[in-house]
Amino acid sequence: MNNSNNQRDSDIQKKIDHEIRMRDGACKLLAACSQRDQALEAAKSLQTCSTRIMAYMSELQRMKEAQVMQKVTRRSSDAGPMDDRLPCKGKVAISDLRIPLMWKDTEYFKNKGELHRCAVFCLLQLGGEIFDTDMVIVDRTLTDICFDNTIVFTDASPGFELRVELYSCCSEDDYSAGSTPRKLASKLSSSLGRSAGKKLRAAMEPGPCSPVSNGGASPLLLPVPSVPGPKYHLLAHTTLSLSHVQDSFRTHDLTISGNEECSYWLPLYGSMCCRLAAQPHCMTQQMMSGCLKVKQCGGDPQSWTKVFAVLKGTSLFCYHRQEDVEANIEPAFTIAVNKETRIRASEKDPHSKVQNICISNQYGGEEVTHTLTTDSREDTHRWMEAFWQHFYDMSQWKQCCDDLMKIELPSPRKPAPVTPKQGSLYHEMVIESSDDLSSTVSDILARRLQELELRSQLGTSPTWMSVFDENNPKSAGRPRPCTSRLSGHSPCTPHRLPRSPVSPHRCPQTGLLSSDASLTSDSDSHCSTSPCSHHHGWPEPPSNFSLLSSSPSRLRPRTLSLDAKLSTLRGRGYGGGGTFQCPCQPPPSSLLAPIPISSRSPRSQRSTQTTLSCSSSTSSNSSSNSEGSHSPESSEGAPFSRPSPARRSLRNLRARLDPRNWLQSQV
Amino acid sequence: MAFIPGQPVTAVVQRIEIQKLRQGDNLILGFSIGGGIDQDPGQNPFSEDKTDKGIYVTRITPGGPADAAGLMMGDKIMQVNGWDMTMVTHDQARRTLTKKKEDVVRLLVTRKSLEEAVKQSMSYPRQ
Repeated sequence: MNNSNNQRDSDIQKKIDHEIRMRDGACKLLAACSQRDQALEAAKSLQTCSTRIMAYMSELQRMKEAQVMQKVTRRSSDAGPMDDRLPCKGKVAISDLRIPLMWKDTEYFKNKGELHRCAVFCLLQLGGEIFDTDMVIVDRTLTDICFDNTIVFTDASPGFELRVELYSCCSEDDYSAGSTPRKLASKLSSSLGRSAGKKLRAAMEPGPCSPVSNGGASPLLLPVPSVPGPKYHLLAHTTLSLSHVQDSFRTHDLTISGNEECSYWLPLYGSMCCRLAAQPHCMTQQMMSGCLKVKQCGGDPQSWTKVFAVLKGTSLFCYHRQEDVEANIEPAFTIAVNKETRIRASEKDPHSKVQNICISNQYGGEEVTHTLTTDSREDTHRWMEAFWQHFYDMSQWKQCCDDLMKIELPSPRKPAPVTPKQGSLYHEMVIESSDDLSSTVSDILARRLQELELRSQLGTSPTWMSVFDENNPKSAGRPRPCTSRLSGHSPCTPHRLPRSPVSPHRCPQTGLLSSDASLTSDSDSHCSTSPCSHHHGWPEPPSNFSLLSSSPSRLRPRTLSLDAKLSTLRGRGYGGGGTFQCPCQPPPSSLLAPIPISSRSPRSQRSTQTTLSCSSSTSSNSSSNSEGSHSPESSEGAPFSRPSPARRSLRNLRARLDPRNWLQSQV
Repeated sequence: MAFIPGQPVTAVVQRIEIQKLRQGDNLILGFSIGGGIDQDPGQNPFSEDKTDKGIYVTRITPGGPADAAGLMMGDKIMQVNGWDMTMVTHDQARRTLTKKKEDVVRLLVTRKSLEEAVKQSMSYPRQ
């Protein structure tokens, strides 16, 4: 007995030493780091370590007191074996913590002024285990503080108290708390505006809130090192217990400390939403196992079945052989052992002097009784004891024993796939060509030029051509429309696939042809397929280019890179989250310029369809999908993109689910 | 299932837990949704009340994770992992369902047959 106590003591002592070392490390890091983010993280570790140290120390104290008490009672009275039954322990998991905020509308819609930011994290304490969540930076653009972590406590008793504390720290660069000397601080606060000065002063001094507080735990046993740097303050707390455990999400009330004057203040709505699940060990582990003989009442009195029985959860599983348990073979039969079950020991069997155990259940209005017998009296006694313990556990853990609640252990997250920075469509386009970009461009230009040549044979060449005509003396003066379009459209160039030049360069000024030429044909080609998203509100064929819009399909091959990409994506099936992995990512904001999709039959060409759905998926990405009924295309996968008239007439429901009428997304 | 503005919504719900399936880089659930406060509720073929702007399940991929979990076509999704779905835009709903960090979504769904089942069971006299 003494040895185990000593063992526990030394365990805790080791933990305390470990935490003290961690705390020292955090202090050093805090003193050394210069970046705000690092400082916040270090301060968070410091806070966690300090809390853990306090918890361990108070536990140590409690244990010492208990030891002393035990010695006292042992001397004074004859303490027999403690007869109280202890309920089994279990796992408790809390996940999906979400704390809504309630910004004043004046705050929320402010576009100017600094963003008041706070760094927040949660400390969760159950028994001797303390965990912290990741740190989240909160500003007025957030409506809820969300913590993604799942925290699992492994050794909880049914009377557990899970204390959740929300700590926050102001994260503005101007207010580096504690470093400004007091005189200067008061001077500043009096000279600054009233609210700014108030904030500053609150940041300087601890104010009504102590820097390291655990709201009601035992007094500090160790001096807390005062380290310059950000300090976290307790913003809100709550305590959860068994009655809050449920297999779904629930809302709990928070007790908020601090007020508006504090620098770390955040306007909390006052509640917290989370999922609190518990798995008592009686539901997940084998409580008792052994060999039995089972007989069903009402059957043949001599038909005892020999089984290997395992008591777990709400059932007694009876296997033919012990090996079946390991092999995961289905049990021969299962007897329910739940709150409705009644178990009693029957009269002594006249043949063998062993008592039988009778288990009665109600199956749909009928009572079914199984009788168990064992080989020896001790075994019977042990089984009865196990059943009593099991019932006791179920009565203590209450709703957790109705069904097994799932607890997902946070899987070690694979490093997130390297997502390209949010760029434009063009960053993700690949030019499948030689490395020499200039030759690519010149190939493209050559192609365009050739087309232009052909067109110019039809009539007058576009007026802007003169600009680029070196031989033309009137080259002055019409850069205006071109350059503006140039800026808007130059990105289009890279994704032209170079084709083998259709014909040798005819015009000596190939190199001088501005990309505008290619642009025109771009627009030209795109006008035929779709008003492509990456044209900034390109006006419908302006008069200049009326020539070019003549039957482009004959000359202009399809934009291979864009279409090819899209058709491969469609072939991949699910687009994943309704969003095609289509590189049509952030569109220019002017996408909402009326896309004349409605004017054309979207089903004329499959690739047209695809292009259109691509552009509408971008529009839904930009979340300005205000014209729900307007956007005729859904970001849906293949199955819905080819409703043919024949099929529509067949399935009425399918027709009503036509994505052109009602937007649907695949998830 | 009609709601009165300003009054809390009550419904008979079923809890459905869907494990997302990983396909390459994507996590898929295997169903399609329609509806949202930014969509036209009159086009919803599943809703009883044609002003209901909630999120409805429009299609289930046979054999997919949603199918295995018991989700049915025509279900109205009330909550996803604790987040409300009765007053969200279509895109918000889609985004809440497809968070990359979550492997499991726990839905609260309601359908007409649930309400009717409850009514029937209440109408039978208890023995």
